[in-house]
Amino acid sequence: MGVDRRKAAVFGGAFALRLLLLVLFPSLPDLLTGRVEVSTPVTSFKRLQEGLFLYTRNVSPYDGGVFHQAPLLLPIFSLLPSSPGFPFPTVVLYSLIDLINANALITIAESGWAVSGRSYSAIRKHIRWDGVTIAAWFLFNPFTIATCLGRSTAVFTSIGILYALSSAVTGKTFNSMLALGFASYLSIYPALLYIPLMLLCYDQRAQTAKTYPSTTVFALQHLAIFVLSIAGLLGISALLIGDFRSFVSATYGFQLLVPDLTPNVGLWWYFFIEIFDSFREFFLGVFWLHLASYMGGLTIRLRRQPLFVLSSLLGIFAVFKPYPSISDASLYFALLPLYRHLFPLMRYTFFAVSALLYATLLGPAFYHLWIYAGSGNANFFYAITLVWSLGLSILLADTIFAALRDEWEYDNPEVRGKDVKQV
Amino acid sequence: MATPAALPPLPFNPSRVRSYILRLPLFTRLVLLAIIVFWLLELQTVWSVKQWGSLIPEEINIGTMYRLNTYPFIHFGFFHAFLNLLALTPLLERFEAEHGTLTAVALFFGPLSTFPAGAYILIERFVLHRNTEVFGASVWVFLLLGSEAIRTFKSNPYFSLGPYKIPTWTSPLFACGLVSIFVQNASLLGHLCAIFVGYLFGLGYLKVFVPPEKVLRWIEGKLNLLGRLPHYVSVDQKTFGRYGVLPTTTAGGERATPMSYLGSSQRLAAIRKLRSNPHFLFVHLPHILSFLCIVAGVVWLLLLPLNDYSRQTYISENALLPGQVHAYFSGSEQHIFRGYKKELEAILERQTPSEQDSRNDEFTPAVSDKVQSILRAAGLKVATQNYEYTSSGITHQGQNVYAIIQAPRGDATEAIVLVAAWRTADDELNLNGVSLALTLAGYFKRWSLWSKDIIFVFPPDSKSGTQAWIDAYHDMQPAFVQPLPLKSGALQGGLVIEYPFDHRFESLHILYDGVNGQLPNLDLFNTAVSIAGGQMGIGSNLQEMWDHNDSYEMRLQTILRGMVKQGFGYATGAHSSFMPYHIDAITLQPKGDGWQDEMALGRTIEGLCRSLNNLLEHLHQSFFFYLLMQTNRFVSIGTYLPSAMLIAGNFTIMAIALWLRTGYYIGSEQTAVKLPTVSAGETNKQVAVSTEKSGANTAQQPAVKTDSNSIIERQLALPLTLVVGLHLLGLIPLYIFNNINHQYYPTATYASIAINAILPIALAASLTRGLTTTPREQSQQSLLIKSFSLLVLGLFLSTLATLNFSLSFMIGLLCTPLSFVNRIDPRTASRPLRAVLAVAGLVLLNVLSPPVVLLGACRYVGVDVETVLTQAAFGWDVWGMWTQVVVWCVWWPAWVTGCALLGFSLF
Repeated sequence: MGVDRRKAAVFGGAFALRLLLLVLFPSLPDLLTGRVEVSTPVTSFKRLQEGLFLYTRNVSPYDGGVFHQAPLLLPIFSLLPSSPGFPFPTVVLYSLIDLINANALITIAESGWAVSGRSYSAIRKHIRWDGVTIAAWFLFNPFTIATCLGRSTAVFTSIGILYALSSAVTGKTFNSMLALGFASYLSIYPALLYIPLMLLCYDQRAQTAKTYPSTTVFALQHLAIFVLSIAGLLGISALLIGDFRSFVSATYGFQLLVPDLTPNVGLWWYFFIEIFDSFREFFLGVFWLHLASYMGGLTIRLRRQPLFVLSSLLGIFAVFKPYPSISDASLYFALLPLYRHLFPLMRYTFFAVSALLYATLLGPAFYHLWIYAGSGNANFFYAITLVWSLGLSILLADTIFAALRDEWEYDNPEVRGKDVKQV
Repeated sequence: MATPAALPPLPFNPSRVRSYILRLPLFTRLVLLAIIVFWLLELQTVWSVKQWGSLIPEEINIGTMYRLNTYPFIHFGFFHAFLNLLALTPLLERFEAEHGTLTAVALFFGPLSTFPAGAYILIERFVLHRNTEVFGASVWVFLLLGSEAIRTFKSNPYFSLGPYKIPTWTSPLFACGLVSIFVQNASLLGHLCAIFVGYLFGLGYLKVFVPPEKVLRWIEGKLNLLGRLPHYVSVDQKTFGRYGVLPTTTAGGERATPMSYLGSSQRLAAIRKLRSNPHFLFVHLPHILSFLCIVAGVVWLLLLPLNDYSRQTYISENALLPGQVHAYFSGSEQHIFRGYKKELEAILERQTPSEQDSRNDEFTPAVSDKVQSILRAAGLKVATQNYEYTSSGITHQGQNVYAIIQAPRGDATEAIVLVAAWRTADDELNLNGVSLALTLAGYFKRWSLWSKDIIFVFPPDSKSGTQAWIDAYHDMQPAFVQPLPLKSGALQGGLVIEYPFDHRFESLHILYDGVNGQLPNLDLFNTAVSIAGGQMGIGSNLQEMWDHNDSYEMRLQTILRGMVKQGFGYATGAHSSFMPYHIDAITLQPKGDGWQDEMALGRTIEGLCRSLNNLLEHLHQSFFFYLLMQTNRFVSIGTYLPSAMLIAGNFTIMAIALWLRTGYYIGSEQTAVKLPTVSAGETNKQVAVSTEKSGANTAQQPAVKTDSNSIIERQLALPLTLVVGLHLLGLIPLYIFNNINHQYYPTATYASIAINAILPIALAASLTRGLTTTPREQSQQSLLIKSFSLLVLGLFLSTLATLNFSLSFMIGLLCTPLSFVNRIDPRTASRPLRAVLAVAGLVLLNVLSPPVVLLGACRYVGVDVETVLTQAAFGWDVWGMWTQVVVWCVWWPAWVTGCALLGFSLF
């Protein structure tokens, strides 16, 4: 059948747009790399450069306490020509990663798992967008473009997660676990996705295969694959770095204990700046527990829609992670159009989108007033990160409400179209 | 079944408030009116209402007994009046509803005012021997609270708080205590007197003062008050019977509450009526709200010059200690100053060809060498910097000379800058200023008390020289500007000296506006004013207000001039370039013809440098956002920001309303046509049960259902593309107006006017031709286009208001018509009428298009368009000014969208 014309146009357009932006505004990537909204201490490209510099000179990249990313990124980037001199190869690499992500999204969309699963099928499933439209929403999303040009290494985590999802819905459960292992290796939090992803794999297997595999065996098998993949990656890293202990404390210790409180779009930094040191450990535990607790609740309540649970969890991570950036939001926004059939049930879209737009504009303005003009202070920027989180939370709550409503109508056919009141 | 216009219930229902206000009874209305009138009267300064009517114990005699009745109407300032109004309205309304208008008049002009006043005077004058004046309606508030508390006590004697039983009648005392703690100047004694009288009234001891019912009825009957006066509460109507609703149950003699919010069925019906009248809710109400926002925004700005809203300036940073040191710059320094001036004049004479009439005042290498040699002779480190800027085909080049005094007591981490440009901001020769700076350089070098380095900069002009220097100081210079060979520490403050004439001066004019509307810390300005005025006896001016008599008009004019400069965002002097680097700087310009000489200016600068030298950290204490209305009066951001936010908010309100309208209202419009037989009662019932969720069930329902009650699918693709596309299209004029040669600017302006006239119509035509959709979809699309465009406009303007208040306010005002411009509905107007209306609207809108406004402003001020645009392009290229971005990427796209919407009506 040849190459799908629309797909080629969207992909080509997205690729050309990224290169065009680089050619028209050569200083744009460096500007974006420096923005706190794009780069966090664990995904910053600048810090990667620093680690790379040390690595290529045979010094441990974690010396100096600047670099906190997984060591496997270093050999990949050491193959590329240095980015200050030759910005093109790096941007081409990042653009290609975006295209691969978009391709995974198309696979997910076309599998139809977003609208119907093993034991459930959405009522409005005829309202949906095709894969190319969803890919276009992802590729032309300004947040995605900013992440790409800002060369945040969060895109590697995104590629792991999206590939885990696309493999799961096409039945390649082994690949799926490997991809999730890769994502978890890069930044710990995707490990929380293991249970819903395993359920998605199980549902997929149960739907296609004639015989149901035993749940326990299936779960243990996949847990083993997942753990082994992480262990393998850690082993390679240990070979690369040598000093295993310092590498673990500089990467995972750093992500878990949140010592760097550089401002970002999340909620942690301000809180941990303000908190007294004696309470720090306690609240660190509370914050992590809070983040992890959504997984259980959502998985149980929305057992029949595991893909939706995964998408919602990604949205929750974008709000409550220790170092969130707009790349996490862009990953959530990439999965949102899969649920086109829920849009008619959503009630606060306009307000959520307006809040996000306001935060997008006011965030940099207030950051400017705080850092550069000196006429504002940290509270200005923090207030805006609260608005941003509020916008995302409204959107999340609204989609979850819509999904529940859809399930309810599926279970109670007699109440379709009736009014209900949420209490 | 059809339910009209399902909408989410509002937590705060404006319609409820409206109906409440519309139903206020007569006496309450009159009291509220009187309070407002007295407050407005108080705004003038000729006749002090407060002095006339407040309750002053010592002033009370037979002739001034009227005070016993007038004091509750008089307030001090807006907030006092507003809060009292808010508290009084429900209480008084309830009282009147219960007792009737006549009784209320009799009591409130009689015992209920005079008794508390009498009690207060007795205690204050004869027991406490003080003379504190009191006024305000709070006396009635507490009195009524007291009487209500007694009533509550009778039915419900105690609150239980754990083991304690607190009698309910004490609640007004708690309220009174809280008020005296939280509100300054609240008279505790006055409130207590009022509560006491309230208790007496509640317990029935004042019943004797109530006129007998017979008399009241007789008066009412004779005068036919019920027929003549609107909102009059009759003697017979009082208590329950006012709206013809009898209480269904009267539990234990308890009083029904006829005026509680949900009590009256008629009230509910009014709300239902509003809900079932979506046309008002979705079409008229947003227009009214938007309009009110705009009016409130403008009125807010006009209120700012009043004393109640502005503040006296004060020095916030204690370390500055302005004017606390003796300035020693005098005496023999004057000879040195004259010597330097003579030397410079001699060079100017020498470089002038003999046949030429006027002197050659260029900053030639000879002058530069002279300046350098003087500085070097004084023992300073000297360096130069060459720069060259090209903008609009004009090249600006020159050489900055600068020198550094290294601080004897510092470590070169901090520095102060003194700038004397060879040419002032008005392009005059600044010979005295440069000579003064040279003299000061030699003088300062001899002092040992400096803890910060002092840098003297001598740029050849005030526009580009300082910019090149400050950029290079922070290593941010473009390629054609040389880096600085010599640097010092972080700059703490900058002073620019201008003295372009030879005679003595009268006052100092202080320039403080920076690029893009950034302002220096208010402390710097205050220090300059206080040193000049307090220590040297030199008056100061700002914003070219030469005879400021501190009247309202003058203050407003000063604010407006400041806002215009801030809004345009251009550099007003050499100091402006410092602001983007967060260095506070001002320009001092001697003005007028008086008896102050250059030595006085020198001493002022010495005092300022000593103050800056005292600083322990960067200026941060005082305000960075302010509007000055006089050298010693300002408004801070918290007070003035709401006016720009209200203007920006009007667009957002309209955008949200339009979004809701496209979803809910268009559907219900169809319903009304389709199902006219639904009886009113049934409709009401449906509204009552319909909740926010009613819109949820669109998709799987058949088409008829979709029409009837719920969210309609919105076609977002075209509106989104159009709005985003137009904003991107704004980059083209932005590029053109910043990059063509200066002689083409007038042509480009006229061309853009012509294009502006055609573009929206062409856009409208192509869109209508290209899309063969139903009329309903068309109207939805046009509403959505407007919604998105206004949303973006509101977004940008509210963000801008935090960065550059004035620009946001001005653009917001110019855009206000866009809130009210619509595609004229083909169903309501015939084709010729539509065409006439649309053309008239387009002509009016074209008058408000960006290039026409520019031309008009240039004509009004009397400057050349070419000059203005050249300056603007220079600002863009050199100063990093972004006013043009706002004009072309925010204002212009919104304007084109508005015109295109009108243009749709033509087709």
